[in-house]
Amino acid sequence: MSYIKKLNRKLQERFHGSVQAFERDGCLVLQGALEQWDDVVSAGLLAVNRRCYDGLVNDIIFTGGVIPPMRLPALQDQALDGVEPDVLIIGGGIVGCAIARECARYEMSVLLVEKEHDVAMQSSGRNDGMVHPGVDLIPGQIKRRYNMRGNRMYDQICSELDVPFCRSGQYLCFQSKGLAFAAYFAQVYYKLFGPRCRYLGHTKFIKREPNMNQKIQAALFFPDAGVVSPYGLTIAYAENAVDNGVRLSLDTAVLDMKLDAHRIVSVSTNRGTIYPKIVINAAGVFSEEIARMANDRFFSIHPRKGTNTILDHKAAKRMTAIVSSFGTSSTKKKHTKGGGLVKTIDDNTLVGPDAVETYRKEDFSTAAQNIADVFEKQRMTDPALSLRDAITYFSGIRAATYEEDFVIRKGRRTENIVHAAGIQSPGITAAPAIAVDVSRMAAELLAKTREVRKNPEFNPIRKAILRPNELSDQERDQLIHEQADYGEIICRCEQVSRGEVKAALHRSVPCDTLDGVKRRVRPGMGRCQGGFCGPLVLQIIAEETGMPLEQIDKNAPGGELLFGTIKEVQSE
Amino acid sequence: MIETLTFDVTVVGAGPAGLAAALEADAQGAKTLLIEREARLGGILKQCIHDGFGLVRFGEKLSGPEYAERFMEQLPKSKVTVFTLSFVSKIEREDGVNILTLVTRDGIRLIRTRSLVLATGCRERTSRQIGVHGRHCAGVFTAGTAQYYTNILGKLPTKRCVILGSGDIGLIMARRLTLEGAKVVGVFEAKPTPSGLTRNISQCLWDFDIPLHTSKTVTRVFGEARMSAVEIASVDDCMCPVAGTEEIIPCDALILSVGLIPENELAESIGVPIDPKTKGALVDERNETLVSGVFACGNALHVNDLVDYVSESGETAGKHAAHPLPIQRNLVPVECDASLLYVVPQRLNQNTEDTERVFFFRSSADLDNATLTVTRNGQTLFSKKYAHLRPPEMERLSVHLKSDQLAGAEPVCFHLEGSRNE
Repeated sequence: MSYIKKLNRKLQERFHGSVQAFERDGCLVLQGALEQWDDVVSAGLLAVNRRCYDGLVNDIIFTGGVIPPMRLPALQDQALDGVEPDVLIIGGGIVGCAIARECARYEMSVLLVEKEHDVAMQSSGRNDGMVHPGVDLIPGQIKRRYNMRGNRMYDQICSELDVPFCRSGQYLCFQSKGLAFAAYFAQVYYKLFGPRCRYLGHTKFIKREPNMNQKIQAALFFPDAGVVSPYGLTIAYAENAVDNGVRLSLDTAVLDMKLDAHRIVSVSTNRGTIYPKIVINAAGVFSEEIARMANDRFFSIHPRKGTNTILDHKAAKRMTAIVSSFGTSSTKKKHTKGGGLVKTIDDNTLVGPDAVETYRKEDFSTAAQNIADVFEKQRMTDPALSLRDAITYFSGIRAATYEEDFVIRKGRRTENIVHAAGIQSPGITAAPAIAVDVSRMAAELLAKTREVRKNPEFNPIRKAILRPNELSDQERDQLIHEQADYGEIICRCEQVSRGEVKAALHRSVPCDTLDGVKRRVRPGMGRCQGGFCGPLVLQIIAEETGMPLEQIDKNAPGGELLFGTIKEVQSE
Repeated sequence: MIETLTFDVTVVGAGPAGLAAALEADAQGAKTLLIEREARLGGILKQCIHDGFGLVRFGEKLSGPEYAERFMEQLPKSKVTVFTLSFVSKIEREDGVNILTLVTRDGIRLIRTRSLVLATGCRERTSRQIGVHGRHCAGVFTAGTAQYYTNILGKLPTKRCVILGSGDIGLIMARRLTLEGAKVVGVFEAKPTPSGLTRNISQCLWDFDIPLHTSKTVTRVFGEARMSAVEIASVDDCMCPVAGTEEIIPCDALILSVGLIPENELAESIGVPIDPKTKGALVDERNETLVSGVFACGNALHVNDLVDYVSESGETAGKHAAHPLPIQRNLVPVECDASLLYVVPQRLNQNTEDTERVFFFRSSADLDNATLTVTRNGQTLFSKKYAHLRPPEMERLSVHLKSDQLAGAEPVCFHLEGSRNE
């Protein structure tokens, strides 16, 4: 019996005729209507079959709610009208920005468009910043291949881009004697297939991490795991790309495409129509929509939300590395490698994430229950974990495909598109390797029409904003004598100086919001959450940009903090 | 070349506590340094343009800046050295001497000081610490931040807002925002009773017809880039929102007045033990912490209700910082049971000639006809009657206790009794 027949029988049993499967052009397509979003996702997960089909397209109509349309920028102009870049990259997350930088190694004109007001505004700025060793990835997966390659590239890439990176390592802890026994054998598997790992018995583990649960029987230590600031790296990639001639257009959303004979001819945006030779789809949760516009849809995204909590620096002293427990986060059922307890590069502890299916692709709201559940689970690893240490929490949405794998390839039908889609965890780890391959694919496609040479001017080095806090007293003193602004502390919690805030406003990727400054130099990241420094940073933005105070946004256009001069404002 | 300066007394923070401490240390003849992070002295008083400051101390109702001015105008007449825009990035201790690393616009400076007075004030609890969820959009402000925008920058952070928490700054901001043209929909308090001073509830809410809703809290925030509404709900006895009581209130801002936390990061960095009740340092009656030579005062020690007490606490610290004890302290613990929120100081020194001991305490419940009893070894040292005690209102108590009454290691115990006022 064919797979389709068997599948339809199963779907009939489960959904009583509401869902049908059929094949279209080498892809498996689901159609029908369901009232529960979880059922829509379950049908997709039930149907997916990588061996027989190129991809699963889930076209089941969700009748139980309204899927919100993509949030669009309010800006309308013609700034990009008629532009003819060799390569148009859609999406300014870590994948799009890394691809832009790698594309700059070739003699190609590159335009990167991002619908938000800054780069790294969605998944890339909303994850735990873990550079994964690849503990629970399966040989054969595309994401495993890129994870392993990307992980190895991190030391060099972070050194070139001047981004702090630390290979702190990761412990995977086992709570029972039985599991400890299994762990001993698991290390044999890892020795054969990677990643590198070391078995630690109870005594050795507790000696290294004395504050963790004393009931932990054994742990596997993966020395290749690391931590990085995910938005910091994305911004660094984008800055280096722009420094090398890439044009970046923020507040720019792709609205439609025109095709002619399997080629994208034009791409319309809120800032005019672009005529690219090659299009790269790095649109994250919206990569399926881009593929649809490009008439090259062979995968579907089912967004999955995760919430993380950040603890005060004080709590980070409890451990030296990333610590997770087997059975809390590393389960395949939940589809998240979630770090467990991650000691971040900025010396906070991050707790999370969970994994919740959602049809709202941009709902970054948080809920108390999710956080309480995550804490409850992670207390298996650190029983002293307390919500009282929380300074903030955030949610991100992963762009999962039903194959639970990355889509990194040239178009199936459409000739001038390359997809870097379905990138979820471990996307941060994989991005450097993805970028190398995707930029090469773009260059290969372009080479069909003209010769593409390497760019001899490409400079891989980017200098970060100075971090006076990390200098010795003598060096810091010297710096302040040259530029007094580095001697005026604006943010007391994170010790950020006026000089750093000013520098953040004059980089090659524009920044003019409170949160934009916060992502670059950290004022407001500390325990007071910007209560003291917020108004000071706002005044510096006004001084440096010439914008009136009441026009400055917290994070995005429409997010002004102030309404105008007192007594002149009419109440509502 | 990094400059090293030496002082007898160094005061960190030039709010009301630090100003008083520095002036007092100077008056006692100590070579004194006053360090302020901001460009101007006065601390949070600069933005407190409402009146009511100084009733106890000066017998008049002053505004915050006027109150600070009373101290600041004495500075030029004193020998106090003042550094503004100077940030203490590190404190180390070497043979009982404190070495501070200062970051200033003139470079790094090292300060060697025998006595250190920490007058670092407090910070506001944030929306995240009380678990406000939903969208993380623009429009969530702590009351102090909203006050800075309104009073220092002259800009309005809201046109229509909800205030969560009935702490004093929240009440004052309700009035202030109303006067400046914003609509305050209401003040919501999760506890069954308001947290602010009675006079503020009357003068800031009732006089302006601003409703106060107790046993209600904000559960969610809605909006895209800027807030568009909040969800409020009633809470049960455990402060948990009750399902089915949710109500959506359209507004562009949520102003929070949900508590203050003493700032003690510097103190903790040099190992000063902290009282979990006050979140400030453990001190003796001279405001010296358990680390000799390190003093704490003002809101960094415990959150005060009146600035007058903050100044007094600064003076106590400044005076004793100028005169190190010739002999080692012999400290007796001061404890309180659950009938009190806390009592300061938490230690008393046996080895002192001074018999006057000043205590500050807060009752943990609304009490009528209350009696405070202070015992040691089961014997009553003294007792005092109060017609009425409320947790938001701090009590000051001066008692004479002789050294022989403090002999031995047994704790001095504070206990309150009275009829609960529901």
